[in-house]
Amino acid sequence: METPTAPLLFDSSFLTKLEQLYLLSKKLFRGAHRAERRSRQVGSSLEFADYRNYTLGDDLRSIDWNIYGRLDRLFIKLFEQEQDLDISFLLDATASMRWQPEKSDRLSKFDQGRRITASLAYIGLANLDRVNVHYFGSRLEEDLGLCRGKSQFHKVLDFLREAPALEGETRLLASVRTFAQRMKRRGLVFLLSDLFDPHGVEEALALLRYQQFEVHVIHILDPAELRPMATGDLRLIESESGEAYEVTASEALLRRYHAEVDAFLEKTSTFCVEHGIGYAQATTAVPFEELVLRVLRDGRMIQ
Amino acid sequence: MTFLNVWAAGFAAVAPVIILLYLLKLKRRPMPVSTLLFWQRILQESRRRAFFQRLRQLFSLLLHLLIFALILGALAHPTLDRQISEGASTVLIVDTRARMQATEPDGQTRFAKARAEAMNVVRQASALRQMAMITVDASARVVTPFTDDEKALRENLAKQSATDAGGDLHSAVELAEELLASRGGARKIIVFTDQVPETKSVDQKVPLDFVTVGTARENLAITRFATRPVLNSPQTSEVLLEVANFGSSSAKTNVELAYDGQLLDVKPLAIEPGAHAVQVFPTVPRPSNNARGWLTARLDMNDALTADNVAYAVLPVDPPKRILLVTKGNWFLEKLFAADQSIAFELITPDSFTPALAAKFDAVVFDNFVPANFDIATAPGNSFFIKQTPFNTSEPTIDQPLISDLDSRHPALRLVNLQNITLLRAAAVTVPKTEGWDWQAPVRSFDHPLMITGERHGGSSRVAALALDIGDSDLPLRVAFPLLISNTLHWLVGEEAALVLSRRAGETLPLAVGESVQTAPQSPWKKDAPAAAKAPTAQTLFQPLANGFYAWQTHDGPRWLAVNTFSEAESDLRIANATPAASIALPTVSLARFAGWPLWQYLAAAALLLFALEWWLFHRRRTE
Repeated sequence: METPTAPLLFDSSFLTKLEQLYLLSKKLFRGAHRAERRSRQVGSSLEFADYRNYTLGDDLRSIDWNIYGRLDRLFIKLFEQEQDLDISFLLDATASMRWQPEKSDRLSKFDQGRRITASLAYIGLANLDRVNVHYFGSRLEEDLGLCRGKSQFHKVLDFLREAPALEGETRLLASVRTFAQRMKRRGLVFLLSDLFDPHGVEEALALLRYQQFEVHVIHILDPAELRPMATGDLRLIESESGEAYEVTASEALLRRYHAEVDAFLEKTSTFCVEHGIGYAQATTAVPFEELVLRVLRDGRMIQ
Repeated sequence: MTFLNVWAAGFAAVAPVIILLYLLKLKRRPMPVSTLLFWQRILQESRRRAFFQRLRQLFSLLLHLLIFALILGALAHPTLDRQISEGASTVLIVDTRARMQATEPDGQTRFAKARAEAMNVVRQASALRQMAMITVDASARVVTPFTDDEKALRENLAKQSATDAGGDLHSAVELAEELLASRGGARKIIVFTDQVPETKSVDQKVPLDFVTVGTARENLAITRFATRPVLNSPQTSEVLLEVANFGSSSAKTNVELAYDGQLLDVKPLAIEPGAHAVQVFPTVPRPSNNARGWLTARLDMNDALTADNVAYAVLPVDPPKRILLVTKGNWFLEKLFAADQSIAFELITPDSFTPALAAKFDAVVFDNFVPANFDIATAPGNSFFIKQTPFNTSEPTIDQPLISDLDSRHPALRLVNLQNITLLRAAAVTVPKTEGWDWQAPVRSFDHPLMITGERHGGSSRVAALALDIGDSDLPLRVAFPLLISNTLHWLVGEEAALVLSRRAGETLPLAVGESVQTAPQSPWKKDAPAAAKAPTAQTLFQPLANGFYAWQTHDGPRWLAVNTFSEAESDLRIANATPAASIALPTVSLARFAGWPLWQYLAAAALLLFALEWWLFHRRRTE
C-alpha cells in the first residue's frame, strides 16, 4: 500500500554523529581533486609514500637531508596524494518499494531507503567525496549529478524529496548497464533495493563488479513480506504489475512461503559474500538511526 | 426397511442447492502485496497438481452430499421391518363412555384422570415400543394405529373427550387383539377406565392390564323419558319419566318438565337408595305446527354425573292431513272435519270434482257419490266412500242390519265401539277381488259387509267404503262416529308408520338416500347452535355421541331426534377400585437384539462424524 512520502528530517546531533563516520572502500580509486581519501597518486599529504633520486628541477624542500648526511646522496621524499572518491547511490523507486502492509505505522521501504541514502550521502559529502544519486526501476532514471562538500547536502535532500513514482517492474540488469556506461570514473556504489527483480539480481551485481565498482548492497525489506500472517481465501494483487493471484492461504502454505523467502535471502547474501560485495539487510522494523549507526557499521560499510 | 417419516424425502430438493453453491465462484479477500515472486514459486507445484486439486474439491462436494444424505436418512426415520415386527407392541384403550364424565371430589373428571395416566404411558413410546390407541364408548375406534411417534400419540390423546354414550369394554379388547394379532414380539393391552368389567374373557391371548381411576360416587339419573299420544285424545301426549337412585341414601329432588324451553311442570321426587321412581305427566299438549316439539326433563340437583340429570324427548309435530270432501251437503261430516285439528279439508260438490283434483289431497271422501268411470284398479290416491260405493251390488238394500262382526284390530276401528248402534238400512256391497289389492271387511252384518277396506300391494293407495247412510242411523250421535271417521282417514293417509324420534347415545341411525342429520346437538340452553346451512351433516349413517336434539331432514320434512344416555350401567358409579398406572409394567425389549440404538441414531452419528472430519479437513485446507 502506498503512503504519502515521509519528510526527510535529520536532527543536528544525528548529523554530528554522521560527520564522524567514513564510508569504507577496500579499493583505491583515482580521484579528480585533492581530498581526504588516499589514492594511488603521490602528492603533498602528510602520509609518507616512498623515496626517489633527486633530479634537476625538484623542489629543494623535498630533499631528505638526513639521508644526505648519512649516505651523501640526494633523495627526494615522496608523500601520498589524498584525493576524492565517486560515491553513487542506486535507489530502487519501483512500486514494490512504496508498498506497505495494511494498518502499518512503519516507514515504507522507499522512505527507509531515502533516509539511508541521505545519511550515507552526508557522510560522503563531509569527507569531500563526490556523491551522486540515481533512481531506477525498469530502467535508470536521471541522476542528481556529482555533488561535493557539505554545502551540497540540501541539493541531495531536494532530489530525494522529489523522488519520482516509477511504474513497471524492477529491471536491475538494464539499469546497471546504463549506469556503467554513464559513469566515467569508477568508485563506490550503494545499491538500495528490495531486489524483487523477477529476472534475478546476480547478473547485475556481477556486472558492477566486472566494471570495477566497489558495490555495497543494502537489502531493504518489510517484516510483513518476510513473514506474512494472513490466511484464508485471498486475491493477491502485486503492486508493480497489478497482476492478481488467487490463493487459499493455510498455515502449511505460509510455512512454505517463509522457507522460500529464507532461501532467497540466503542465496543473495551468499552471492554477495562470494563476490566481495558488501551486504546488509535493513528491515523497516529497525529504527533508521540504529540502522545507520549500527547495522551498516557491522556490515563494514562505514567506519 | 420402512421409513416412518416419508415426508423427509421432500428435503431432497435441497441437494441441488448444495451443488449450486459449489459451482458459485468463491469471493476472495483482496490483499495487495509487494511481489508475487515467492507465491508463484510455491504455487507452481500446486498448479502442477491441479488434477488433485479438482479431485479434492470433488471430494469435498461428495462429503457434503453424503452428510446431507445421512441427515435425510435420519429424518426419514428408517426402521428395519424385523425391528417393527419384533419390537414391543402395546394397545392403549381409553374409556370414553358417559360414566367417565363423572366428577371426582377433587373436581377432576374420571376421564381427565384416565387421560393423565395414559399420557404417562404414551411418553414411553419408542421405535422399539410402538403403541396404538383405541377409544371405546358405544363402539370401539382406532384413534392412532401402531406408531412410535410419541408426539402424535400425545396429540391424539389430548383431543379425546368423554362422550354421552354407554357401552362395554369387550368390543375394544377384541379390536385390540385383532390389532395385535399380526404383531410379533412382546404384546400388551392396557385399559384406562374407572371400573374393571366383572366378566373377563377366558381365552385372553394378550396380557391385559387395567388402570382404573375414580372413587365410589352417588348419583341420581333419569333412566327413561318417553312420550306417546293419548289414544282417545290425539292432541295430547302422555310423558313417562323414570328416575333411579344409584346411591346409599334416599334422595329428594324436583323434576322440571319443559316444553320448547318453557317450564311446563315441576314435581317433587323422593327415591329410596337403589330404587326407581316413575312419574307420568298425563296431559301434555301436542305441539302446534310452528313448534319444535322439544320436551326436556331435568333433575334439580348437582351430583357426580350431570349428563344423566337431563333427558330429551320429541313430541312429533304432524302437519294436518289434506282432505277433500265431495258432498252435496253433510252437516255431520262438515262439523266433524272442522273440529279435527289434524285435518285440513276442502269441500266441493260432486259436479265440480275431477280426478286431477284428487291428486292434490291426501285423501278424498266421497259422500253418497261415486265418480263416473271410477276404476278401483287405476284410481290414484286414497278414497273413502260413504253410502254409495264402487262395490254396491244390484241387490236390494238391507233393512235394519245388525252389526255382528267387528274387527277391533283394524286401525280404522281402534277404540271404536259400535255396539247398540241403530241402523235403518245399508247398501248391499260385495268385497271385490281386484288383483294386487288386499281387501278386508272389518264390519259385517252376518254375510253382508258393512265396511270394506282395501290396500294396494306396496301401500301406495288405500280405499275404504262404508255402506251406510249415516243420516239413517244414530251413529253421528255416538262417540264412535268421530273415532271411526278419524281412524279411517288417518289409516287412509298411512299414519301408523310414525318415525321413532328418540335414540340412545351411541346407537347408529341408518339414513335413507336424501336424508341427513346435523351432527351438532342442540338444546334449549345452548345459544350457539350452528346455522343450518353451515352445520356439518351425516348423510348415510349417524351415530350421535352427545345428548341433545339433532335436526333431522327426512323425506316428510324436518324432524328432531332426541338422544339420551339412558343406561343404568353408565349412571351407576358406586363401584370403583382405582389402580395407578405405576403398577403397570410395559413390555420390555432386549436392546441387544437390535445392537443398541434405532437406525436413525446411527445415521445421525455418522453425519456428525463426517461433519467433524470435514471441519478438520477444511481448517487444514485439505478441502476447499
